[in-house]
Amino acid sequence: MYSLPYKNGHYGQFGGRYVPEILMPSLIELEKAFNKYKKDKKFLKDLDDLYKNYSGRPTPLYFCENLTKKLGGAKIFIKNEGLNHTGAHKINHCLGQILLAKRMGKKRVIAETGAGQHGVATASVAAKFGLKCTIYMGARDVARQRPNVFWMEQVGATVVPVYDGNQTLKDAVNSAMRDYIADPESHFLLGSALGPVPYPEMNTFFQAIIGREVKKQCREIYNIHPDYLVACVGGGSNAIGLFYEFLDDKSVNLIGVEAGGAGKRNAIRFKGGKYGVIEGYKSYFLQDENGNTLPTHSISAGLDYPGIGPGHAYLKETGRVKYVSATDKEVLKAFQLLAKNEGIISALESAHAVAYAIKLAPKLAKNKNIIVNLSGRGDKDLFIITEALGDKKFYEFLKSKV
Amino acid sequence: MQKLLKKLKEKNLLMTHVVIGYPSLTETIKIITTMAESGVDIIELQMPFSDPIADGPVIMKANEIALKNGTTTKDCMKIMKDLSCIVKIPLLFMGYFNTIFNYGIEKFCKDAFKAGCQGLIIPDMPIEEEEQEKFYHYCEKYNLAPILVIAPSTPNDRLKKLAKFAKAFVYCVARKGVTGEKTDFQKDFQKYINNVKKYLKIPLAVGFGILEKKQVEFVHKHAQIAVVGSVLIKEYEKNKLMGIENLIKKLKK
Ligand SMILES: Cc1ncc(COP(=O)(O)O)c(C=O)c1O
Repeated sequence: MYSLPYKNGHYGQFGGRYVPEILMPSLIELEKAFNKYKKDKKFLKDLDDLYKNYSGRPTPLYFCENLTKKLGGAKIFIKNEGLNHTGAHKINHCLGQILLAKRMGKKRVIAETGAGQHGVATASVAAKFGLKCTIYMGARDVARQRPNVFWMEQVGATVVPVYDGNQTLKDAVNSAMRDYIADPESHFLLGSALGPVPYPEMNTFFQAIIGREVKKQCREIYNIHPDYLVACVGGGSNAIGLFYEFLDDKSVNLIGVEAGGAGKRNAIRFKGGKYGVIEGYKSYFLQDENGNTLPTHSISAGLDYPGIGPGHAYLKETGRVKYVSATDKEVLKAFQLLAKNEGIISALESAHAVAYAIKLAPKLAKNKNIIVNLSGRGDKDLFIITEALGDKKFYEFLKSKV
Repeated sequence: MQKLLKKLKEKNLLMTHVVIGYPSLTETIKIITTMAESGVDIIELQMPFSDPIADGPVIMKANEIALKNGTTTKDCMKIMKDLSCIVKIPLLFMGYFNTIFNYGIEKFCKDAFKAGCQGLIIPDMPIEEEEQEKFYHYCEKYNLAPILVIAPSTPNDRLKKLAKFAKAFVYCVARKGVTGEKTDFQKDFQKYINNVKKYLKIPLAVGFGILEKKQVEFVHKHAQIAVVGSVLIKEYEKNKLMGIENLIKKLKK
């Protein structure tokens, strides 16, 4: 790929495999297996079958007619990854990785989760393929995404709350890595386009289905040119999944939306962050002057993370992708606007992308097209949204239940 | 590195570990001098870091507290400088790569050398990234020993590659997992160490989960250096400097 060259595990200077020696043999083995199976016809056919019949792909590309009219500018389309089984794009890389783990003879998977979407997807595919599953989740995220914890447990996973540090996604990644260090025969099913080699590349490979479908749908269903692609960026998996197919086509503008949080408390890595090597890879990180990660904040647990995938760091520096941010407030508004006009309940992570599209659309001509990646549906955010909107009736309901 | 190389001519060495700034900088100085006076041979001074992925709960907590106290990389340099004049034994820095990367790799090596540091143990700086970082290059330039870490799962072809970068001694992790939990030395331990010796012709240190005298004795049958970490932090928490002194004397006897 011309716009995102990948050489010896690096995107330019970013990426790499900065891990303790104990993990080296396992990660090298994983890289070899991935390189073999990504070209294996039977493997790809099995994966395709799972995409279709387990997850329900292809996910629709939907024209938001009402929202477009209301905003009076470019046409807005939604790539509805929220209609995947388990509710988000995370299932794409989970299916890929579990198939790989199965081929490698693994008996157990370990994963971290923030919003719980990656955790639910991992736990579900582990149940399907009969592998043991342990999920690490920051204690603060356990508290704010309780429904997902319950579902993970229902499909048979052990969920371990993490009380270290900021008690969010980064701390969950650390704990999952420590488990992997103690049990390197397991498969660490990392949930975004980050971490040590081969995770960023592997994750991108399994997520790229999003952009491939979008390309086909634009051509075959709508006969349109996708002028703008917009996706939220936590670690970067749904964004790179949407962008990848279009990286070399300069007529397509690519926009990643980071978590603007509330004032100084945010997770905008490309604003406050600088180069670092943390959790096994080199990229931009929010860190202090001694290289220690800083606490982050976002209304969405899935974007509440101080690092960003190394591929995105590269695309930021070359300028191929433009990175912007949306605040918690803008996100809630966007969530409501999409719900009221299109009857679509968005995950708070994805609502960041919606928020930017809402700003962008009125500034563009009517013959332009914006594709927004709706990375997940919002069911999991019920408790956060009712609280943020101060819904008294829901509060009464909760009280009546306990 | 000379102080370290000279020390490595002796047998049955004990290396201990402290986290700089835990529970405070002034206590760290007292802990290190107590260790040196009690007969410790080498000490690794860990620079506190927010995401110490190779460390278990005890050392992790100590890192967290040291950072809460505001410990900086500059503090680490200063403590190294002050102590290497006071104690005679070789002192090393242990830490995670981001601390060094942030400080500037060459500047770090230069300052560490000037502060009297003898070597660096950086578990997440693998030789594969040398082309990018020039870390081993700067270690050599500033006369610091890069202490490589080896695991039971390290295959022979990697041992061969690692041998080209290793200086002074190598750190063999006794088992899978993070620091802290007691290691149960099994029969395959001897096989593991003997295999490492085939490829690396320099002294070996063995660490992770060494808590008591019996384990130290066992390690010394196979390797020149036994490393003790978490248990000393626990001992300090219970019995302060006296506890450290007594435990080390017991381990060294
Ligand atoms: C619905 C949804 N979107 C986006 C993200 C952010 O992850 P990424 O940037 O890897 O897509 C998450 C993470 O939990 C998520 O659950």
